Amino acid sequence: MIACNDDEKNDEVTVHFLFLKDDRSRSGCGKATSSPAENYQLARRRTLQVVVSSLLTECGFESAEKATVESLTEMIQSYISEVGRCAKAYCEHTARITPTLSDTVVTLNEMGFNVDTLPGYAKRSQRMVITAPPVTNAPVIPKALIAGQKRTHPSHIPSHFPEFPDPHTYIKTPTFREPVSDYQVVREKAASQRRDVERALTRFMAKTGETQSLFKDDVTAFPLIAERPSSIPYLSALLPSELELQTLEETDSSEQDDQTDSENTPVNNLNDDPGADKENSVLLAGSVVPLVKVSEESMIDNPYLRPVKKPKVRRKK
Amino acid sequence: MNRKKDKGFETPLFLNVLTCYVMFIPHTTHQVVCINNINFQRKSVIGFVELTIFPTVVNLNRIKLNSKQCRIYRVRVNDLEAPFIYNDPTLEVCHHESKQRNLNYFSSAYTAAVSAVDPDAGHGELVIKVPSELWKQGDEMNVLKVYIEFSLDQPKGGLHFVVPDVEGSMAERGAHVFSFGYQNSTRFWFPCVDSYSELCTWKLEFTVDASMVAVSCGDLVETVYTHDMRKKTFHYVLPIPTAASNISLSVGPFEILVEPYMHEVTHFCLPQLLPLLKHSMSYLHEIFEFYEEILTCRYPYSCFKTVFVDEAYVQVSSYASMSIFSTNLLHSAMIIDQTPLTRQCLAQALAQQFFGCFISRMSWADEWVLKGISGYIYGLYLKKTFGVNQYRHWIKEELDKMVEYELKMGGVLLHPTFGGGKDKDNPTPHLHFSIKHPHTLSWKYYKMFQCKAHLVMRLIENRISMEFMLQVFNKLLSLASTASSQKYQSHMWSQMLVSTHSFLKSISNVSGKDIGPLIKQWVDQSAVVKFFGSFAFNRKRNVLELEIRQDYTSSGTQKYVGPIKVTVQELDGSFNHTLQIEENSLKHDIPCHSKSRRNKKKKIPLMNGEEVDMDLSAMDADSPLLWIRIDPDMSILRKVEFEQADFMWQYQLRYERDVVAQEESILALEKFPTPASRLALTDILEQDQCFYKVRQGACFCLAKIANSMMSTWTGPPAMKSLFTRMFCCKSCPNIVKTNTFISFQSYFLQKTMPVAMAQLRDIQNLCPKDVLNFILDLIKYNDNRKNKFSDNYYRAELIDALTNSLTPAISISNEVRTVDNLNGDVRLILEEITRSLNMEKLLPSYRNTITVSCLRAIRMLQKNGHIPSDPSLFKSYAEYGHFVDVRVAALEAVVDYTRGMHRTSPSEVSRTHPIPYVVHKILSMLGKNPPFTKAAESPLCNEALVDQLWKLMNSGTSHDWRLRCDAVNLYYTLFGLTRPSCLPLPELGLVLNLKEKKAVLNPTIKPEQGPDTTEMTGITMGVHIPGLITMETVSSVSMSSGVAPPPQGLKRKLDSVVGPLGSSSPEPGQVLQEEDTSKKFKIRFNTVEEDEIDMESPHDSQAFIHHHLNILERPSTPGKEPPAVDQAVLSLPVTPLPSSFGKESTSSSKHSGDHHHHHHHHEHKKKKKKKHKHKHKHKHESKDKERDSHAFSNSPASGRSARSPSMSD
Repeated sequence: MIACNDDEKNDEVTVHFLFLKDDRSRSGCGKATSSPAENYQLARRRTLQVVVSSLLTECGFESAEKATVESLTEMIQSYISEVGRCAKAYCEHTARITPTLSDTVVTLNEMGFNVDTLPGYAKRSQRMVITAPPVTNAPVIPKALIAGQKRTHPSHIPSHFPEFPDPHTYIKTPTFREPVSDYQVVREKAASQRRDVERALTRFMAKTGETQSLFKDDVTAFPLIAERPSSIPYLSALLPSELELQTLEETDSSEQDDQTDSENTPVNNLNDDPGADKENSVLLAGSVVPLVKVSEESMIDNPYLRPVKKPKVRRKK
Repeated sequence: MNRKKDKGFETPLFLNVLTCYVMFIPHTTHQVVCINNINFQRKSVIGFVELTIFPTVVNLNRIKLNSKQCRIYRVRVNDLEAPFIYNDPTLEVCHHESKQRNLNYFSSAYTAAVSAVDPDAGHGELVIKVPSELWKQGDEMNVLKVYIEFSLDQPKGGLHFVVPDVEGSMAERGAHVFSFGYQNSTRFWFPCVDSYSELCTWKLEFTVDASMVAVSCGDLVETVYTHDMRKKTFHYVLPIPTAASNISLSVGPFEILVEPYMHEVTHFCLPQLLPLLKHSMSYLHEIFEFYEEILTCRYPYSCFKTVFVDEAYVQVSSYASMSIFSTNLLHSAMIIDQTPLTRQCLAQALAQQFFGCFISRMSWADEWVLKGISGYIYGLYLKKTFGVNQYRHWIKEELDKMVEYELKMGGVLLHPTFGGGKDKDNPTPHLHFSIKHPHTLSWKYYKMFQCKAHLVMRLIENRISMEFMLQVFNKLLSLASTASSQKYQSHMWSQMLVSTHSFLKSISNVSGKDIGPLIKQWVDQSAVVKFFGSFAFNRKRNVLELEIRQDYTSSGTQKYVGPIKVTVQELDGSFNHTLQIEENSLKHDIPCHSKSRRNKKKKIPLMNGEEVDMDLSAMDADSPLLWIRIDPDMSILRKVEFEQADFMWQYQLRYERDVVAQEESILALEKFPTPASRLALTDILEQDQCFYKVRQGACFCLAKIANSMMSTWTGPPAMKSLFTRMFCCKSCPNIVKTNTFISFQSYFLQKTMPVAMAQLRDIQNLCPKDVLNFILDLIKYNDNRKNKFSDNYYRAELIDALTNSLTPAISISNEVRTVDNLNGDVRLILEEITRSLNMEKLLPSYRNTITVSCLRAIRMLQKNGHIPSDPSLFKSYAEYGHFVDVRVAALEAVVDYTRGMHRTSPSEVSRTHPIPYVVHKILSMLGKNPPFTKAAESPLCNEALVDQLWKLMNSGTSHDWRLRCDAVNLYYTLFGLTRPSCLPLPELGLVLNLKEKKAVLNPTIKPEQGPDTTEMTGITMGVHIPGLITMETVSSVSMSSGVAPPPQGLKRKLDSVVGPLGSSSPEPGQVLQEEDTSKKFKIRFNTVEEDEIDMESPHDSQAFIHHHLNILERPSTPGKEPPAVDQAVLSLPVTPLPSSFGKESTSSSKHSGDHHHHHHHHEHKKKKKKKHKHKHKHKHESKDKERDSHAFSNSPASGRSARSPSMSD
């Protein structure tokens, strides 16, 4: 119906404007690259612009800024769209799928437009005739996603009734794929993923840094990241890496059966950093409320935790 | 030294030898050690000692002390300046009789040198003349106070400085220093009577940077700031009489952890390692409790300290009230494999605290008692903590190890007694070293000695029961602790020393049993027993006819006479029989208890009372015997080779519950590759109750059997289905389960099985494709994300498995190995290894286990000809700055490469930072895997090498007993006892000797030798080996310097060239110098290359050896580079008495003027040795000595020293 309306107007209105030219040339450039659907839309839009321009001329304007024309085009487009949308809604409301004239009329009325004035307006004398938009292939409506089997009509529904829509529209909508729960595949995947990451990472390191090679003829085959002596080699060799610590935390949080850990934690807190506490205990000696921790700390009488003495002043004699 | 008298009473053998010394030995009662400056930058130490000496004789006029390496500034006795001489014959063992090159000669000279300074005999390197004013005092037996100022500069023995080369203050860098040594080595860092039997009380003071902690023996009394508040002084007091050899020190920015259960125990570790320390120490209190309980005796010291240091000399060393450990023992909670090892080290250390530190030994001959007891109680700890299986396994392992050593090298003698007749002077003629002194022992021998000692203790326990044994220990300890609380009375303190005699006496007192024969057999005699057993069953008499033969003729064996236990498992049960091994009886008849009856279905009772069903179809229908064991309790130090049928071994494996029996049967089954053996082994593998080490052993045996049964083998490769069933997912058998490692038994089995499987071979002698893919899949699917333990050891073993799967490449003749002709399987393996090794750089594993395995794998690939053989990779990994395990693995590969005698290129390893442990490892690995032996001809065996090695053991390793003995071992392995065959005939050398003895300069031979040998090799290898070339230049320079006194300039050059080899961080100038040399030789190379390529192989391998030797070749005593003036300046702020400065500095500057005279020293010394009166009293003698020692290389001396005032009066 909307399409009809448009066509009617287009047929009737014929006008040409100077500034239209650049517009065309510009779109001409674009033509080569744009898809059929875009072409289709561009052509319609251009016709609308022509319509707006002709109406402006009709109203006595000699020229208009491009931006103005654009705005007006936008307005008219949205108006027409709204008419179309509403008409469609009305028709669906009455359980039909194609809007009829009456749907459009009701819509226009609803939008505050007096339909009765329309025939008069259409027949006004100074109207301009506008060429029909260039014929472009109507855009191919992308096929609706077919998910699952459409249900056939049950026997009590005549066959001319519309088909059932896709089941996902009214039964359920699977939005994700079923995760692969096959253990073997998961392991396989995890393994190859890890291997790929490792390989990529080591290759990258090897490419970006110094390497050593096992072959003299082909230095790039099996590159080994060059060893780098460290000044304190035992640190990296003994301390667990962050990754390992992370794993440990994860596994620990899940299972708290590690005896030594549970035994150690409270104990370890006791003498966490003797160096710091040593000073604290000196400072806190006169304070009013000694912390529990400090009192326990002071129970440990270890010569290495005692404060360092100041030298005697007279010592040098 | 009154104790000598005591000993005289107790061990009469010593009496005649020692009485002559007693007269001269005073007794130290108290010693003060004060180190007031430790300079990490210069690696120097300055301090003084004060010994309180109680003269036990009148007219004490000389005091002999031990001191090595120390530069002694002054000596005062009771505030009077005392002249002293310093003479250390061990610096250079054989003087210029150097042409001998004969190990027999060297060994005797070395023994003589060590004896000459042996503190137990009252000798010492430092002889102090008591000022005559004090002689009278001696009459009244007043104490003497001997005050000695000393310093150490870049010590090579005794103290080890670790100074990481990073930004920041010394504390931030984690720099630390600690004392180390093999046996009594305290003399390396301060003057003392360096004997285990010389006890005194101690006061120790160490002034260190405020950010550092000084940990030493005894109680920390107080810590006091110095006046500028930048340093702290740690005051320690050790009231328990302790031998100087048990004194130690470590200083560093340690993190402190007080043992939560016992506040008197403190742990120290290097920065950042505190979390590891907390975890690793969390069970120490249990060890304490265990020992205190079994010994019913409190820990003798009032405190205990553990210090974990980097670059440790040995894993564990115990000193009075403290132990020094390698920092590499620390581990986090995620590590499985290291945990028991660390606990064992702790337990060893603690056992030695009781026996070894608190109770010391009377003499070297009594060492075995201490080592035995500490090893024995450590074994008890093992039994309690790790279980009886582990304990018995350990005993078997130790016994096998020791037996193997003795059979190969000759006997190990626990209690050597010297001094009978002259002929009996050497009780162990089969050895290439003397066992008279700990310092002449080969390290390996000493290990076996310890091993044997604790095994013998176990034998004593078997004899007198454990209860009595512990009572004896308790008695020793309580006597000692009573004595320790006494004020000085030497006869009381001697209770703290244990001797063989006193130990045996307490045993007989406590137990009332005579263990004389046992001691005679195992302690006073070396060697082990070797049994061969076989049997026959006499059906008529129902008797087992057992034949036990002995081999007591081959080396390392002795004849055994006495009881032996035989266990026979019959159908009716297990029966013990005690047989008497006598002179001529070989056959023993043992009546059987049961008639053969295999039809009756009845359970069979085992030794432990258990009754089991057995499938008896395999056994002989006529015989009731299931299996027989000879000496099942290992109560003889023996090796048993017993013959019984395969089904008997199989029964033994399946049903005998003793792990030792199981392991024996596994070993025996290797010879019976039958389906029945296979089944028995597989069953054991599947049995959860079976000890995991037995199951591990079964894996390898199964692999061997499978290989022997190759043609008849049915089914999948051995162990594959088993592994799949145990460790793979039920749903997809090709994928291994994600790791959990909750059950340690399974963990160890899971680790071992792939390694054993990789040993399988198919008909083409290749590893089956199946197995290889299986292992590759294990690596691929290994998933540790859900595991609370680290999988580093497991992954390392998987790499080892890949290594095991390698077989020699099919070589197309003379083909160069390239990437393209790489075999497909090898390519996969190499891919894995490369990836793992690269990942290690990003995520290093604990102790870099994976790197170690990868290096081994790469060496294996090279060895098998899959990839080009090239040591450069290993050399780079062997450099200083890698984790020590990695370095050792890399060095092992290089050593292996040298053996292969491939063409080789540069060896920069010589620039190795001299970590004693690593150097020790190099030498022992070279000894284990020598490039050639005395039997085989080799192009490597040439005069230059002999010279170099000779120099190394003669003078290059005087700073470390262990290293010197390692060098001797290597020399022995390479050349044997006699003069190396590659040397020219000795006549010339002898002439030379005579000449030299007369101290005549002999310019003709030596300069010739220099350019001839060394430069030749230098040129041929020049390009490849800048490091070596510098050394070679050095030696040629120093050789020429022998002819004429070198100009100062040349001298300096020499020093700077030596520099980079010696120091960890070469200064820029030195590097430049080195590059220069290498460039210079590069130019030469172009001309030589074409001709020399063929020559390269022997030369280069030789270069490697040279290199290792060069590392050690630096002078034994420091103080060469900065001239004496420098030293004096350094000492300025610390030397307390200004009066001495003037003297000091003037004389030292004078000294440097006298530079060129030093080369004459050796000759001089020799004379001195011969005629006692020609002694120097000049107190700069020691300095003289030190400066000299680096000129040890052939400097034909004129023998006349212009200025050397004599002390003789």
